[in-house]
Amino acid sequence: MEKNVILYSEDIEMRFGGLYALKNVNIKIYENEILGMIGPNGSGKTTFFNVITGFYKPTGGNFYFLGEKLTGKEPYEIMVRGLSRTYQTSRVCFDLTVLDNILIGTHFVQKSRYFDALLNRKKLYKEIEYYKEKAVHLLKIFNPDLVNKLFVRVGSLPFIDRRRVEISRAMISEPKLILLDEPSAGMNADETKELMDDIGKVRSEMKNATIFIIEHDMKVISTVTERVYALNFGQVIAEGTYEEVSNDIDVKEAYFGKELDNENRFAA
Amino acid sequence: MKKNGFFNKFIVALVELIVYFYLLIFFRIESVWILVATILILGVILYLSRKFKKTFDYITDCFNKNKNFATFFIIILMLAFPFISKLIVPLYIYWLLIIIQTFIFSIVALGLNFQAGTTGVMNLSSAAFYGVGAYTAGYLAIHYKLPAALTIPIGGIAAAIFGLILFIPIFRTRGQYFALITLAFGYMFVLSLNNLDFVGGPQGLKNIPPINLFGYNFQKAPFGTHFYVNYYYLAFILLLVALLIFGRLYNSWIGLTLNYIRDDEPAAKGCGVSTNLWKLVTLLIGNFFMGVGGAFYAHMIGFISPPNFTLTISLLIISIVLLGGSDNIIGVLVGAFILVLVPEKLRVITEYRVMLYGLLIVLILIFRPKGLIPFKERIYHESIAKEN
Repeated sequence: MEKNVILYSEDIEMRFGGLYALKNVNIKIYENEILGMIGPNGSGKTTFFNVITGFYKPTGGNFYFLGEKLTGKEPYEIMVRGLSRTYQTSRVCFDLTVLDNILIGTHFVQKSRYFDALLNRKKLYKEIEYYKEKAVHLLKIFNPDLVNKLFVRVGSLPFIDRRRVEISRAMISEPKLILLDEPSAGMNADETKELMDDIGKVRSEMKNATIFIIEHDMKVISTVTERVYALNFGQVIAEGTYEEVSNDIDVKEAYFGKELDNENRFAA
Repeated sequence: MKKNGFFNKFIVALVELIVYFYLLIFFRIESVWILVATILILGVILYLSRKFKKTFDYITDCFNKNKNFATFFIIILMLAFPFISKLIVPLYIYWLLIIIQTFIFSIVALGLNFQAGTTGVMNLSSAAFYGVGAYTAGYLAIHYKLPAALTIPIGGIAAAIFGLILFIPIFRTRGQYFALITLAFGYMFVLSLNNLDFVGGPQGLKNIPPINLFGYNFQKAPFGTHFYVNYYYLAFILLLVALLIFGRLYNSWIGLTLNYIRDDEPAAKGCGVSTNLWKLVTLLIGNFFMGVGGAFYAHMIGFISPPNFTLTISLLIISIVLLGGSDNIIGVLVGAFILVLVPEKLRVITEYRVMLYGLLIVLILIFRPKGLIPFKERIYHESIAKEN
């Protein structure tokens, strides 16, 4: 059975001045898969995320999410359609509580508005309670300790828990596609291992969701993902399973450099 | 700790009574030394709050757990204020006027707090919107003989609509740059007032009719007191309404959304928040309350002129927000009381006034950089905070 394409891009090009951060990037994301994206520093991975989430407006090309052309739309317009993300440097508000940081993820599915906030508090509390239960449920999956810290400021949590809060925030609105931008950035080996388990939990929790991960850590990519794109200098250089991609000659060159022949070695 | 323990309620009542009667003593003693004493006492309290943290935490806990009782009790005390102050303070009419001004500035500062504290939209022209409300109400009352029941809300709406002028800069700029634009806006407002003839130019608007609410004339003194008592109660009611509205907005999705915009705008966008729209909302709601405050002021004083709405007033309102504790409505109230009452007491020592005033602000900000009462974790409602 042919899988449904949930998001695809057509010749995405992103230029900053004279520099091509992305050039002719064509990517297909199928429904229900875990897709990875690798590439050396500065190869345009995060730029691509920023383009498909609307933070950058591409200088060329289009991308389609659920069959709808979303090029040039604002981030909030794109999120509403069921695409949520995490950030490379955790973007959580340190001064707000764990609960608040997760609940903001429900912004566009919230039903109570001004009238309820001012005069119909019961409805509001009911809704908050409903999403709080959901947040508790998510936190329990990752780290049951966090459930007791619902009203603690996020700034006082350890790094990995902040990341978990961020992932919970992305998950609470039940998105169709969830983008994880280097979830293991800044973590040590043990934490990375915990995180890989966490991604597995995300998977088992949201059976219908598609997950798209950017990662530096090859271990994460090799254990978690089903299919991988490799990017270098803003262009897709390889695509396939991790085994295929990691054995690709272009990918090896991108990471380790070209093997020089003897003549050139002496010249250098 | 038992939630409804009688002892805890007693502590709450005691603390409130002490503050209340200290305020009365503050009004009664005319020497400026009472101010020095007050600052010393505040310093000692700050010191003790660090040394005996447990006791202080216990007291704050009492307040948190008996919120309804604490609110109820302070409302009763404030309702009785005109009559109690008449017994204790010789110059009570003067101080009543100052308290009314404190209420007005509290309402205005609550509006600004909603913008600067909750959403992080630094509006440095709050006095201009305060002025729009005052001039609109004054103009309508003089020329069209509209009653105050209409002019006060219209003043608020006028300020809100006037604030829409800022919508282009708010879409395009951020942070300090927006603050700079509002600063220019405040200057332009005062300049225009000085040069527009139909609002009296530098002479201002004179003879704004007093409030006459549903046939009740506010110039009539009730129960052998003074007619200010009428204004006192109306200002108090307006303040309570503003507190209720802002408290409810804060403890709802709206407060959360606005806080998120303040702390991390891109992340908010990434969560589906249309940040520009929400900033506009915060500008509208905040300006509305500034306008209401101004309209009330115009009716009470009966005379307004451009110097009432200069940058100095904007700075006073911002100081109230920052010093009291931004994003905390109780903090804003405390800030308003300190920053409006203290300068009045300092009138005696004329030229040192500004210096001492500045010193006080610097001292408070050294010891409490986030304001006297910093913002707290949002818990929405007890029922949500409790179980799990």
